Amino acid sequence: MTHFDRRQFLRLGAAAGGTLALPGFSVAQADTRPSITIAVQKVVNTNTLETLREQSNVGTRVLSNMLEPLIATDWLGDLSLQPGLATGWRRLDERTVELTLREGVTFHDGEPMTAEDVAFSFGAERMWGGAAEAGAAGLFGSVTAGQGGKQPPAEVVAVAKRAFPAFERIEIVGPRTVRFVNKTPDITLEGRISRNVGVIVSRKAFAAAPSWLDWARKPVGTGPYKVAEFKPDQSLTLVAHDAYWGGRPPLKQIRFVEVPEIASRINGLRSGEYDFACDIPPDQIGDIAASGRHEVLGGLIANHRLTVFDKSHPLLESPLIRRAMTHAIDRQAIVEALWAGRTQVPKGLQFDFYGPMLIQDWAVPAYDMALARKLVKESGYKGDPIPYRLLNNYYTGQVATAQILVESWREAGLNVAVEMKENFPQVLAKGPSRAVRDWSNSASYNDPVSSIVAQHGPTGQQWQIGEWRNEEMGKLSGVLETSMDMGQRKAAFRRMLEICEREDPAYTVLHQTANFTAKRKDIRWKTGQSFAMDFRAANWGGMG
Amino acid sequence: MLRFLLIRFGRAALTVALVVTFAFIVLRLSGDPALIIMSVDAPPEAIAAFRKAWGLDDPIWLQYLHYFTAIGQGELGQSMRDGRPALQLVLERIPATLALTLPALAMKLGIGIPAGIYAALHRDSLIDRAVMVTAVAGFTVPSFVLGLVLVLVFSVQLGWLPSGGQESWRHAILPVLTLGIGGAAVLARFTRSAMLEVLGQPYIRTASAKGVPWARVVRGHALPNAAIPTVTIVGFMVGSLIAGAVVVESVFSWPGVGRLLVVAVANRDLAVVQCILLLVAVTMVSSNLIVDLLYGVMDPRLRSGAKAGAH
Repeated sequence: MTHFDRRQFLRLGAAAGGTLALPGFSVAQADTRPSITIAVQKVVNTNTLETLREQSNVGTRVLSNMLEPLIATDWLGDLSLQPGLATGWRRLDERTVELTLREGVTFHDGEPMTAEDVAFSFGAERMWGGAAEAGAAGLFGSVTAGQGGKQPPAEVVAVAKRAFPAFERIEIVGPRTVRFVNKTPDITLEGRISRNVGVIVSRKAFAAAPSWLDWARKPVGTGPYKVAEFKPDQSLTLVAHDAYWGGRPPLKQIRFVEVPEIASRINGLRSGEYDFACDIPPDQIGDIAASGRHEVLGGLIANHRLTVFDKSHPLLESPLIRRAMTHAIDRQAIVEALWAGRTQVPKGLQFDFYGPMLIQDWAVPAYDMALARKLVKESGYKGDPIPYRLLNNYYTGQVATAQILVESWREAGLNVAVEMKENFPQVLAKGPSRAVRDWSNSASYNDPVSSIVAQHGPTGQQWQIGEWRNEEMGKLSGVLETSMDMGQRKAAFRRMLEICEREDPAYTVLHQTANFTAKRKDIRWKTGQSFAMDFRAANWGGMG
Repeated sequence: MLRFLLIRFGRAALTVALVVTFAFIVLRLSGDPALIIMSVDAPPEAIAAFRKAWGLDDPIWLQYLHYFTAIGQGELGQSMRDGRPALQLVLERIPATLALTLPALAMKLGIGIPAGIYAALHRDSLIDRAVMVTAVAGFTVPSFVLGLVLVLVFSVQLGWLPSGGQESWRHAILPVLTLGIGGAAVLARFTRSAMLEVLGQPYIRTASAKGVPWARVVRGHALPNAAIPTVTIVGFMVGSLIAGAVVVESVFSWPGVGRLLVVAVANRDLAVVQCILLLVAVTMVSSNLIVDLLYGVMDPRLRSGAKAGAH
């Protein structure tokens, strides 16, 4: 039997008292979590933080820390769909997905997330607010800061329509159950719901915002960090949302700072002002890592770089020229020379995470200069210059890649002439010099509908701007979008690849995109297969 | 004198009008703001509505007329991208830019003019050579290269100063140095040339021959006469106070008017670009006007020339 003397008893009592007092003491203590600063090229392109307006790669990086969809994507892992604000979901029929909402989720303003908030997030006020009215009022005609009116800009409605083309309604079944109902059968509904367009935001906070612009610059979501200060074109400061359902965030504050010059980002990292520097070109990786105090992380993301053809251009009308161009490119040489082998040539416009829809035996057109020359000869091409509208390194290594392409095509007997352009509208403007251009295609969820249909089908950009169309491709897009038969869908997808990449080339894939982030070596953190930066507790191992 | 003033004011107003007109036309011909701001994927009806709402579907002469009428009423338009008055956006950024350009101007004047005078008075000496070599180097190295070199030395290697941003006064040191070194070099070269030219004039030799102390010759005869070309350059520098730091602001991530201009041009935010260009033109023209008036004050021959022209 254990005996306690008086002193032991007093010590034990003091210790117990101290333990009881500890939580209160901890709360009273200063927040000792670290804060970090991240240098980025651009915080957001549209100067808003609303995913319905900001659909850029740079926006994805910051918004994923603030706003969450019902179904999450495992960006750090295999890109599979994961429980997010919904703990589970099931198919009721070809048009309906029932989702079970997570309990204990609170918005940044402390309000609990409800089924009504979900309905609101997909509702008319936020997503479908009347394109005509919004457009008629101009982008900011009805949404000027400080003025009344919550009419979203027309572009918001356009983005929503592209993301959910056949959306019918959200049905509230119970406090924790909602149904997403589509007008047409769609096997990709779960994937669509996982897109950042479908993040859940606070209905009350939206109502309380003085204007749409005020809302869009400080949206109230459920993510681990919330907006503390947003200075358009300058910086975004996020602070921890301590009531986050996924656990207390590990960082007290994240500050994204706009540093447009790459040299300035790297210098700031080296001098210790920034903990992370984003958008690092491959040729800088060696130098950064050489310091010993920094490292560059990153790699492949779900995005492919393409060369795109305008078949309405007289010189590209013949598929033979376009096919010749696809065979004249040594893609592996581009990967080795410009990316130091840090990316890869994919299997055409598809991604490994397509799973059962991946066409394993598909490949980009083989590099075959003899075949390219033969096709040029057969086409009867007379040597007229083929215009190539080019932006100045909007994509990593874009100009150097273009130089390789032009020389490759010259070797095949094609006279391709570069025309430098300042922005995408200039590149896409209809005219006699629109023939060849650059593009990249992402897959926002694990199905080819998210890429080949979204970009090259009847609702895609190429089709919409009159650059390329193919009737069979149009019909197959419908099959891919609405059929629930996996066999039929896979056959349709294969045929689409044959059309778009071989028979009647709409584009040719050059390589997969890689994204690189430099950081302090003593920060234990991982990048994902996305531009999104995950600063939740599970991906933060500390610093120093 | 009145005619002199009227001519100068007339020229200034014409210059501002030409700058504004040129900017107006070039901006409208070089890209459609609707496509850039709404994105190329926006539906055609939304693009059309945007153009209508902002008057972009009117003939360019009508847009120009509306614009000039609005300027006359003190209305410089709204930012298409931000929704706020363009003037407000620009005015918010001016203090940040002046926080760089004013100390840089003081540095240019404080170093450039004395260095140029000293070099001229000690022509062909070791110091003259050193000053000129430094001035040529400072003058020829582009500001973005100089800025990056300063960051490499003082931020990366020595760790003494921050490399970018606007959090404290320490953040301003390197951009001010970058702006100041180049400008001081320019001023030093011009001041030296002007002084050498004046020092070679007969009246300087005459004054010396008459036994006037050299220091008095320099103070009383050389410096005032050499001031005219120097004042011209200083006037240009004063005129550049608002938009003279575009490159440096980009290199040092300094949120001033220069960066606002770059972003506004990239996004074809017409009202903001036009507002900045108007302010720059007004500043530059005002500065030149003051310089013109100073010429008259400093050199009586110019005043008498203006009077002679009036007869």
